[in-house]
Amino acid sequence: MMDTQTLVDRLGEIVGPGNVLSSQMDLMLYSYDASPEKGMPDVVVLPSSTEEVSKIMALAHKEKVPILGRGSGTNLTGGTIPVKGGIVVHFSRMNRILDLDIPNRTVTVEPGIITLDLQMEVLKKGFVYQPDPASQKVSTIGGNIAENSGGPHCLKYGVTSNHIQGLELVLDDGTVVQTGGKAWDKPGFDITGLFVGCEGTLGLVTQAILKLERAPEAVKTMLAIYETIEDGANTVSAIIAEGIIPATLEMMDNRVMRAVEETIHAGYPLDAAAVLIIELDGMPQGMEECATKIMDICKENNVREVKLAKDEAERATLWAGRKGAFGAVGQVRPSYQCCDGTVPRTKLPEVLAKVIAIGEKYNLPIGNVFHAGDGNLHPLIMFDERDPEEKARVQKAATEILKACADAGGTISGEHGVGLEKLKETSFIFCENDLAFERTLKQAFDPNNIINPGKMIPEAVCH
Amino acid sequence: MKNFEEIINELLEMVGRKSVTVEPDQLSRFRVDHLTPQAVVFPKNTRQVSDVIRLAHTHNLGLIPWGSGTHMAMGNPPKRLDLVLSTSRMNHIIDVDTANLTITVEAGVKFRDIQARLATQEDRCYLPLEDLATEADEVICSDRSHSGSFLPMDPPQADKATIGGIIATNAAGPRRLLYRLPRDLILGVRMVAPTGDIIGSGGKTVKNVSGYDVSKLAVGSLGSLGIICEMTFKLLPLPQKMETLLFSFKSFDAASAFADQIFETSLLPAAVEVLTESACSRLAMEGIPNFSAAPCGVAVALEEFVPAVSRMSDELTAMAKSHGAGTNNSLDDHQHQAFWLAMSNLGRTLESENSGLITLKVNTPVSEWAKTFKTLEATFSEAGLPCALQAHAGNGVCLARLLLDGEDNDTMEKAVDTVNHLSNLFSEKDGSLVVQTVPPQWKANLNIWGNPGSAFPVMKRLKEKIDPLGIMNPGRFVGGL
Repeated sequence: MMDTQTLVDRLGEIVGPGNVLSSQMDLMLYSYDASPEKGMPDVVVLPSSTEEVSKIMALAHKEKVPILGRGSGTNLTGGTIPVKGGIVVHFSRMNRILDLDIPNRTVTVEPGIITLDLQMEVLKKGFVYQPDPASQKVSTIGGNIAENSGGPHCLKYGVTSNHIQGLELVLDDGTVVQTGGKAWDKPGFDITGLFVGCEGTLGLVTQAILKLERAPEAVKTMLAIYETIEDGANTVSAIIAEGIIPATLEMMDNRVMRAVEETIHAGYPLDAAAVLIIELDGMPQGMEECATKIMDICKENNVREVKLAKDEAERATLWAGRKGAFGAVGQVRPSYQCCDGTVPRTKLPEVLAKVIAIGEKYNLPIGNVFHAGDGNLHPLIMFDERDPEEKARVQKAATEILKACADAGGTISGEHGVGLEKLKETSFIFCENDLAFERTLKQAFDPNNIINPGKMIPEAVCH
Repeated sequence: MKNFEEIINELLEMVGRKSVTVEPDQLSRFRVDHLTPQAVVFPKNTRQVSDVIRLAHTHNLGLIPWGSGTHMAMGNPPKRLDLVLSTSRMNHIIDVDTANLTITVEAGVKFRDIQARLATQEDRCYLPLEDLATEADEVICSDRSHSGSFLPMDPPQADKATIGGIIATNAAGPRRLLYRLPRDLILGVRMVAPTGDIIGSGGKTVKNVSGYDVSKLAVGSLGSLGIICEMTFKLLPLPQKMETLLFSFKSFDAASAFADQIFETSLLPAAVEVLTESACSRLAMEGIPNFSAAPCGVAVALEEFVPAVSRMSDELTAMAKSHGAGTNNSLDDHQHQAFWLAMSNLGRTLESENSGLITLKVNTPVSEWAKTFKTLEATFSEAGLPCALQAHAGNGVCLARLLLDGEDNDTMEKAVDTVNHLSNLFSEKDGSLVVQTVPPQWKANLNIWGNPGSAFPVMKRLKEKIDPLGIMNPGRFVGGL
């Protein structure tokens, strides 16, 4: 590997010296993300075009320097931490909408665009880009693609992967290729599908063609209030079993509601054990009937009250609370670890009970705010990272929670990725053959192991 | 290499005598283009598939998977063929979890048997159950729900295709408009890699980002990366109401204007299919009013809650009239199902009538479907080649079927030239033209998959890394992979 100063100079030649960051202060700022992990890069580079990214990649390839892409760093599992140093490619300057194509119902964007900015822009034309991760105000499309982000509306509309129609990629040696396109069904392997959710380990995305859908005509949002978390969880399964797929089915427990009310004042009932945010969208015909059925199901499951959002403002307040929940929890304790385990939704009551028991066992406060309709739990273990003893207990508790999810027929990550955080826990769901196959895929794209190394797949154990 | 008899003996030891055939009569039924296998093996589970592939890997045997054979005309001629692996005995529905809306099945399960298994206690089903001979009686079982669910796919030959074949070809039909593609519905997969290793990815949850999305890679890979043995899918509740609207138009322009206007609204039809008269007239529909659609017809599928279907039906009928629609029929539940089943079998009907049938699937950007349709119509008409055309209007997919006599060499030659010309034309326009069926002797003269695009080198790297000996479906996939 070339010395850092030469690397900085060479990168400066590609993007201009002003777009290369290498002071200790700068590097420190790129050493963390929304996970508790940390790691220092050697240099940060801010390209403005595919061509520049290609040159950066070719340089990294030639010099065998580790390289990884970064959006806003909202990743929760350490996916953006440069554990092996090297180059961080920050896409903040590549944040343009290149082509909003309403007749073809696509929008082509650069990876650095903020998810919500894009969504607001297409909404002006009456269209939506469905995936709505809670961090959408800050997160980038490039990051969403790398992590295959979810969000509340994925229950009905599917995850990021279902909304990406094509990509422009920079491969390990700097080659630029297109996958997919505005026309569907490009013959060949679904490289787009493989790239979405690869946690940035196969290459860098420099453009993406996203699918747009017409904004729904009608939306109905309800808040169902429960005395026990179990009643709420049972309601979720019962709604789906009734043949209704709402746009969202989100759950929040008392601990999280308290945190939210302190900062956001969404009007959640502080004396209740849990609430469900249920949203229906689509054509108004049939919606009333569905809403009535849902209310009946809520009642059968001992709901205290179901409130209907009267207008857009009330709806927005309900959602502001949900989407700001992680941030609000951060006010209660200095740190949190979010476990992203996912289970078949009928297993929710059973697994939630286990989560609560694990919290008690390790004497840790755990808040639950999650995508109940998808069975996607997000137990937030609240702690103080300055206390090493507490931190160790958090690790143990998190591992036990993920094990409980895997044992219930679920998985260790629904939408946040494996990253660094869950490398060990991959053994709960994969056998050595599965991991070996993943390593084969990785090698096909990145034989030198320089693209976001050390993530997602644990290193092979030598026997 | 050992002589093949010794290999066969090894096979027999692995899977048992009943699971292997070397009878010439039997083997000829499993020809793929110009090649006949030396043996056909019928493993009964994933473990046996693994054993067979390990053997193929050890002895470097070319292997081609076979479901119910509905798509065997696809792809380049195989470079070699030693073994055909039939999935017909892998026909178990492993897990039905209607409360979670997931199903896990083996590759050889027929699509129709999945739908039958998901029907309601009152036999409401996504396919016309009474018209179908289902494979196994056990699909009628006691734990069926009242509301029912279905696997929201719409593959060609829906009464015959196996789920493994549908996934290997990412096969879809008109109703992909609402339900998207098989790739969007698969949650997990267990497959056997070309080394014989059994590998798994994904699972029963709708959200899963633990590891690479191997399922997506497997979908549409034509078995060239391994044998897909077990799959888990997302289900949907059975629509409360199903209805089809049939309209005929005096010109294609009127039909396409109608179709395009639908996409300007917030209505959510399941399919908007535009067909030439030559296609409409061959839809074999027993007990269904004749859909006479000279010169152009539009079929709209509505699958929604009752009030939503009734609103769409009213608005679309009025809209069609404003574009001068002539006859207008509406089919509900059972007739609706029978109609779309007939639609899925249109290719089979035409193939049985035309020995030289060539089927082309042309994709261009969604908004250009009408232009593409007209280009195809004009080109074939100028060349004097009779064809049946249909378009999945909202998805930018046109299917063209050239109705040719395979004995007529001159016409076949002209057709091949015309297809090659069109293939270049569409690949220049960010589209693709795939030749889905053609008599095998003409394959060498055609660019079957069209231009694979700039990502081809990545695909090649993947194939070479995963299947370095090139034993899986040798040469049939894109670019000879």
